[in-house]
Order: sequence, then structure tokens, then C-alpha cells
Amino acid sequence: MIADIALALPEIFLAVAAMVLLVFGVYAGEKSTRFVATAAIVALAAAIVLVLGRQAATGFGGMFVVDAFGSFAKILILVGTGLAIAMSLGYLRDQGIERFEFPVLLMLSTIGMMIMVSAGDLIALYLGLELQSLAIYVCAAFKRDSTRSTEAGLKYFVLGALSSGMLLYGASLVYGFAGTTSFAGLAQVLQGGGTPIGVLVGLVFIAAGIAFKCSAAPFHMWTPDVYEGAPTPVTSFMAAAPKVAAIALFMRVFLVPFGGMVEEWRQIIVVIAVLSMVLGAFAAIGQSNIKRLMAYSSIGHVGYALIGLAAANQEGVRGVLIYLAIYLAMNVGTFGVILCMRRATGYSEEISDLAGLARTRPGLAAAMAVFMFSLAGVPPLAGFFGKFYVFMAAVNAGLYVLAVIGVVTSVVGAYYYLRIVKLMYFDAPAEPFAANTDRGVGVVTVAAGLFTLFFFVYPAPIVAGAQIAARALLP
Amino acid sequence: MDELWSGYLLPGGIIVAQILALLVPLLVIVAFLTLFERKVMAAMQLRLGPNVVGPFGILQPFADALKMIFKETIIPTGANKVIFLAAPMLTFILAMIAWAVIPVGAGLVIANINVGVLYLFAISSLGVYGIVMAGWSSNSRYPFLAALRSASQMVSYEVSMGFIIISVLLCVGSLNLSKIVEAQRTVWFALPLFPMFIIFFISTLAETNRHPFDLPEAESELVAGYQVEYSSMSFGLFMLGEYANMILMCGMTTVLFLGGWLAPYPLPTPVWMGPFWFALKVTLLLFVFIWVRATLPRYRYDQLMRLGWKVFLPFSLAWLVLTAAVLVYFDLAPKTVM
Amino acid sequence: MIVQALAFYLFAAVTVAAGFMVIAARNPVHSVLFLILAFFNAAGLFVLLGAEFLAMILVIVYVGAVAVLFLFVVMMLDINFAELREGFLNYLPIGLVIGGILLVELFLVLGAWAIAPEAAKFASTPTPPVEQIANTHAIGQVLYTKYMFAFQVSGLILLVAMIGAIVLTLRVREGVRKQRISVQVSRTREEAVALRKVEPRQGV
Repeated sequence: MIADIALALPEIFLAVAAMVLLVFGVYAGEKSTRFVATAAIVALAAAIVLVLGRQAATGFGGMFVVDAFGSFAKILILVGTGLAIAMSLGYLRDQGIERFEFPVLLMLSTIGMMIMVSAGDLIALYLGLELQSLAIYVCAAFKRDSTRSTEAGLKYFVLGALSSGMLLYGASLVYGFAGTTSFAGLAQVLQGGGTPIGVLVGLVFIAAGIAFKCSAAPFHMWTPDVYEGAPTPVTSFMAAAPKVAAIALFMRVFLVPFGGMVEEWRQIIVVIAVLSMVLGAFAAIGQSNIKRLMAYSSIGHVGYALIGLAAANQEGVRGVLIYLAIYLAMNVGTFGVILCMRRATGYSEEISDLAGLARTRPGLAAAMAVFMFSLAGVPPLAGFFGKFYVFMAAVNAGLYVLAVIGVVTSVVGAYYYLRIVKLMYFDAPAEPFAANTDRGVGVVTVAAGLFTLFFFVYPAPIVAGAQIAARALLP
Repeated sequence: MDELWSGYLLPGGIIVAQILALLVPLLVIVAFLTLFERKVMAAMQLRLGPNVVGPFGILQPFADALKMIFKETIIPTGANKVIFLAAPMLTFILAMIAWAVIPVGAGLVIANINVGVLYLFAISSLGVYGIVMAGWSSNSRYPFLAALRSASQMVSYEVSMGFIIISVLLCVGSLNLSKIVEAQRTVWFALPLFPMFIIFFISTLAETNRHPFDLPEAESELVAGYQVEYSSMSFGLFMLGEYANMILMCGMTTVLFLGGWLAPYPLPTPVWMGPFWFALKVTLLLFVFIWVRATLPRYRYDQLMRLGWKVFLPFSLAWLVLTAAVLVYFDLAPKTVM
Repeated sequence: MIVQALAFYLFAAVTVAAGFMVIAARNPVHSVLFLILAFFNAAGLFVLLGAEFLAMILVIVYVGAVAVLFLFVVMMLDINFAELREGFLNYLPIGLVIGGILLVELFLVLGAWAIAPEAAKFASTPTPPVEQIANTHAIGQVLYTKYMFAFQVSGLILLVAMIGAIVLTLRVREGVRKQRISVQVSRTREEAVALRKVEPRQGV
């Protein structure tokens, strides 16, 4: 039991920290938000250190798996949450929703994500997923006096509950036909071929449930509305860490217990990936709200990431992990810029408001341009490398059609990313934004921009880390 | 034919006989409890109480019953008929079926089931439905308010009751009520768990909607709450149910804390003395019920909620942890299970 | 055995009928009451299975607490349910199509029922048979050991639900006079009572 606890030390530490901060916040009142947020970031950083110190092992009766793959994803998740909290304070204060529960909820959601990527059992998978989503449902409705925020929270909650139901239905079918919920047991049962059809049906439902959580088409319907309605820091959080967790979970579930059924599930993933890429590319074109645009953009990026899963080999896993790391940076940076779109009258979310930004705020415009070029996949920015590794994996796995569709949709997607750049640099200036006063947003945006810009100079740590992680998942 | 007799009819007949042997005295006791209450209250208020029907008014309950039976049952036009009539029956039935698991003496229990405590707890938590259904189906304001009050009140006090029951179970290691009583041979749990005993007793007051927590039927503000629209025997069933519930709750307290049928002295006692001791302890507790009614003013609603959630719940939770810690630390936890 | 069989069919039939009435009843309060009936009979089925602990917990948690709050809310709702049902017929065809597809799929699955051959070794019960151990004890044995992780994470989920409910609904209202019992109790006689000599026709 002690060994098990040591294994889950980062999660336990975070949980205890969250509860301590919650109690502290209750007694200290609303004024303590800034302190709670800072302490939460410190705790997340400490959790990264703890994650790095874990040895690969399995604990809690096989429910909890620690390996390099999980640790890599966990570090990305922790970084994503930390950055999201750091960026949130200014916005929350301006909107009058500066409450100490916000960082605590994000921390609890992070624990859920860490359990997801460490899941070694369908039960642990479901519990992690629920913990993660439940906290985000609340966060989406955090601005409770705004109709749109509550609508976002409610919509996300209802649809999320439906998807959880599908996932559970699938899991129960798998359990019924395979006789076990543990991943190791499932892998053993299913390796011999001759898959029972019940397991396959269950797998389809599980795929639908997880696809919903990472907003892959055709389970993406909630994404634009929720992204638009939720407070911007929540959106920036939702678009980063939970995506990483859901896709990492996708990989762990499909490659470990169902690894013997690659031929059966590959077509599902290919269809989901193609639909997501096409939808992300074409539906984003008509958007006028930057958060909706980012929603469709994130759907497209999930599609690209899933190409690596469809490849179902070590190279593919590595590609996806690199992609996720880069996507995290680009996305956090873009939302940092969006959080700077503030006038005296309040926050703006219209793309047209970015017009002529290069003249009024050249620094902000440059940062946005970097992120847009990177999201479009223009070399030598980081986004290009993400796509490159994934497409290479697909080509090497013989999925040429998928790779070609990926390239084509990237070109289509580039249109709307570059339209924003054009708007900023060549159009007549709109009313200028107020100067950014929040240090958190500034620091995070600049850091994300530098990472995106100079990733190609020294990609080794991330590529090597992803390589180790991929080897841990698929030996 | 032989199989039918020995396999079905005989056991069935025995069960029916057992049930009758328990319920008939119970109903008589319920009837006399109303008289007992009025007499005790009268004595406390320096009055005489009922003294006209029979010697010392001893036949008063039967007079009341006759009156109730011969009155007309009135169903309000706007009422939801089925639920309106089902509500008092439900209250009465629940108060009766809970007695199936209460051991009134060594081996003197109809159903000696493994999860007796949980069964009691489940049945007592259902008691709220009678009131809620009555309140809603009456289609009238006062009963509805009473239903709302009752629902939130019962749910609130059940939580701490649950924790208290768990701390008793920790000391016993079984959910069987007879085993719980047997476990108190050395010491009644009322002593080591004294604060729990007090909280449990107060919670039973709230569970039975008795003073000082009788907000669902507060005469002075809700004109008898959920019973407003009831008359005749449907009202009578509510009354019977309420008093049977009181006895049941006292019985539960007796079993959990006062050593059930055990004699207060550590000498071997004949089995037939068990029901006597049990009845004596229940009567004492019932006297306290009435004493409280005669003494204390009604709680305000926010005070009621505060007491339940902010005082009892944290305290019983803390005491539960303390009990578990003590049992583990001093190695007192029961080893034999089942 | 006959009694058991009769009890089973009684409970099962009532459960199904009540479950149907939950969606068919016109009045939402009736729906909730039928739901309670269904829970109750499900508990009866559990008892027949020899799972008395689950049966009691089902009654305590679902009937005694959850459904009460459900009823509480539904009673106070002021919604015209006839209006809500107006679109029912419009959506009926698509609902039937989806339901039909799911049913066909279920039959397909059942038709090709083939449990993985290796499954048998996982199906071995982790606990001793019913005759040897009370099921309360059996559940306790695995809940706090084998499934400790799941148990604790469930606790965290409930914590999040609680925080969420408070964050989204608690409003600290200004200008409300609250009873502060500690202040009341700690008041001393000196600050509360003053003895004055009141002269006739002078007043205080």
C-alpha cells in the first residue's frame, strides 16, 4: 500500500494541496484569490518535480500505471494548467468573478487528467474523465451572471453526460465480453485475435466517448458554443491541457488494451481524423468570433494529432506527443493574445477588432502573427514540426491517403490563419486596445511566442522525451 | 398435500402469528401512549388531563378511536385522490413494518436479518414520503409548506444519524440488531458513546417530527401542517403512524445504546424478562419525548438547519473518526465478523 | 422455490411497469413516485439475489435521499409539461429510428455472442462464496483494498460537485441580519443589564 501511495504521490500531493487551498480560501475570503492562484502554480510546479521522480511501475491493483508516456503527458498537462491559471487572474478581476475556487477547480481537474493518462483500468479511466470534466463544466459556467457562460456550462454538462453514458455503455460491453476491465487483462484476452463482436461494439462506444472529450468530429458540436460562451481563461484552459489528456488517453486505451485489434479500429480513427481535419479547415473560414475560430482550429488540430494514432506505431506516438507539446504552446500563446484584446469598454472577441493591430500594438501583432503562422504550419515555426512528425509517421505506416488529406486541409486552414495576419498588418486600424496591465498574460504569451519561434533551434529535449515516452507505451 | 402443509401453510401461519403477536400489543400500546402523553403533560402543567371516560380516563383512547372511525372521510375536490389516500396508509405501514427486525428479547424477533440496522435506517428514511405525499396531494398551501419543511428536515438529520449508527457498528462489527444488543453485555454503548447517544436521541426527535422540531405540523403557524385536509380515519392513520414511529425510534435507541433487552445488572435473567426490560427502557425514553414536548419551545427553521448541518454533522463525523482511532489504537475493534 | 419465483416475477413485473410509467405519466410528481416504486422493487430483486446490503443502500440512498430531493424540486417546478411535450410527435420518428437501430445492433451482438475464451480466468470471484461470508463484509473487504483508488477518486469527484454547486449558486446577500450564536452566548450580564433607579414621573 505504501508503494502504491508513493507511486501516485504527484496526484495525492496535488489533491491535498487543492483541499488545503480550498480551506484556506474559505477562511480568508475572496481577497485571497491571488494568493491561492500563486500557491496553485507553485503546487503544480512541485508536482512536475514529483512526476519526474517517479519510477515506472503499476499500482493499486493495476488501476494506476506510471510510465514515461504518462509522465510526459502529465508534465504537459501540469504546464498547461499552470499557464492557464497564470493568465486568468487579470480577466477574472476585470469581470468581477475573481473567486478563489477557480484555481482550486483547475487543480482538481488536473488531477483528473493525470489519472486519465495513468489509467490502467476502465474504471480508473472513467473516474479520471469524470473528475476532469466535472470541474470544467463548473468552470465553463463560472461567470454565472452571464447567460452565455451559463449556457456554455449547461450545454457542455448535458452533452458531456451523454458522452459519458456512451463511454460507460461501451465499457460495460467490453467488460461483459472480455471479462475484465483492467488494461493488462484486456490486452491478454484480445491478443489472440478472434475478437468477440461485443468488444468491438464496446470499443466503438468508448471511441465515441473519448472523441467527444477531445472534441473530434463528428462529436464536436459542443465545441464552438462552449468555447465562445465560457470565460476566456477557461477556454484557454479547455483548449490546452484537457485536449492533451484526452488524446493521450486515446492512445493509451487504443494501443495498450486494444493493441491487438489495430486493423479493426484503425478505420474508426481514420474517419474521425479526416472528418475533424476537414471540418476544422472549412467551418472556421466563416467565423467572425476569434474564440469560435479557435474552437474550429482545435477540432482540426485534434484531427492532425489522431493521424499519429492511426499510424499505431512508435513513431506515430512520438509524433502525437511532440504535436501535443507544440500545440499546447501555440494555443496558450494565442489565448494570451486574445486576453490582451481589451478596451476600456470591456473584452473584445471579434476578429475584425484585430484590424491594423500592427500599427497600434506592433508587439502584440507580431506575437499573434507568430502563433498564426505556426498554427498554419509554416516552417520553420514549431507548428510545422508538429505536423511534420505526424505526417511522416503516417507515410511510414502506409497511410498515404490520410497524410495527403492532412496536407490539403492544412493548406485550406492556412487561409483563415493568414487572413488574421493580413487583417493585422494591411487593414486600416480599428479602435486600439488598452495597454496590457496583467503581468501573467504578458509573461506567458512572450514565453509561448519564443518557444514557438525558436523550437527548431533546439528541439532535442522534447523530441527525445517523446521518443522515450513512445517507447514506454509501445515497446 | 403434506408438502403443501409443512412447506408453505405451517411456516406461513407461524409468521402471521408472530406478526399478530407483535402488532396487536403494539397498537394497544400506541393507543395508550396518547393517553400517557396527555396525562404526563397534564401533570407537568398541574392539570388533571382526561379523567372522564372510565376510571382515571383509562378508556379515553378507545373513545377517541370510536369518534375517529365514525366520522366522515372528506377528500378535498382539488386533491389528488389516490396519493391523498395512500399517504396516511404509507405512514402507518412504514411505522409497522420496521418492527419486523426489532428484537424485544433474546431470539424474540420476527426477522433476524444480517442488515437489521440498515433496514431500520432505510424504513425510517422513507417516513418522509407519507408527509410529502400528503402535503402535495392536498393541493393546499399549509400542507405543501409542511411537506417542504419535512423533506429538508428529515434529509438533514438522517446524515448525522447515519454517522452515529456507523460509530455504533464500529464497536460491534455486525449490522445484526441482536448482535448489537449482545455486544453490550459488558457495557451499554450509551456510556462510551455518550455524546452520540444524546445526538441520536435529539435526531430521533427531528426524524419523528416531534417537539421541539415539529415544524411540519406547527399548529401555531401552519395549523397542523400536512394534516390540515385530513379527517376521520385517514387522519387517525397519521396519528397512529406518528406514535408508532415514536415507539419505534425509542426502540431503536434502546437497541443501539441502552442494551436492548439486557437487564441493567450482570446476572443471568430468564428470557421472558427480556421484553420487560426492553419495554421499560422504551417507556423511559418515551417519557423523555413527552417531557421535552412539555418543556421546550419550538425551534426556528434556520436554527433547526443550523443544528443539523453545522453542529451535529461535524461533531458526529469527528466522533466517528475518534471512535475508529481509539478502537484501532487500543486494538479493541471486534475481530469476529458476521 | 415457488415463493422465490413468485416474488421475483412480482418484483420484476412491478419494476418494469413502474419504469414504464415514469416516462408515461402525465404528471411529473407521479413520475417521481413511480421512480421510487421502481427503486423499491429493484431493492426487492437485490434481496432475492442475496445482496441485502446493496438492497438496503439502494433504499437509503436513492429512495431515502436522492428521490426526496427530486420530489422536492419537481413539486416546486411551475412548468407546463403538456407544453414541453408538444414537440414529442415531431421527434418521435427519429427517436424510433435510433431506438430501432440500437435494438437491431443489440440483436446482432447477441446473435454473435462470443465471450473471449480467456475471459474465464478473470471471471473468478475475488471474494469467497455467499454462504461463507456476509456480503456487507465481502464488499468492505474489496472496497477499501482492491478498489481503494477508485473509491478515493470518487470522493474527489463528489468534492468537485460540491464545490461546483457552491460556486454556482451561493450568493452572499448584503444587509441580512444573521443570528450569531457565539456573540449572543458570550454576552455578559454587565453589558446587557443595567440597574437604574427610576424616580416616579421622571422616566429613564
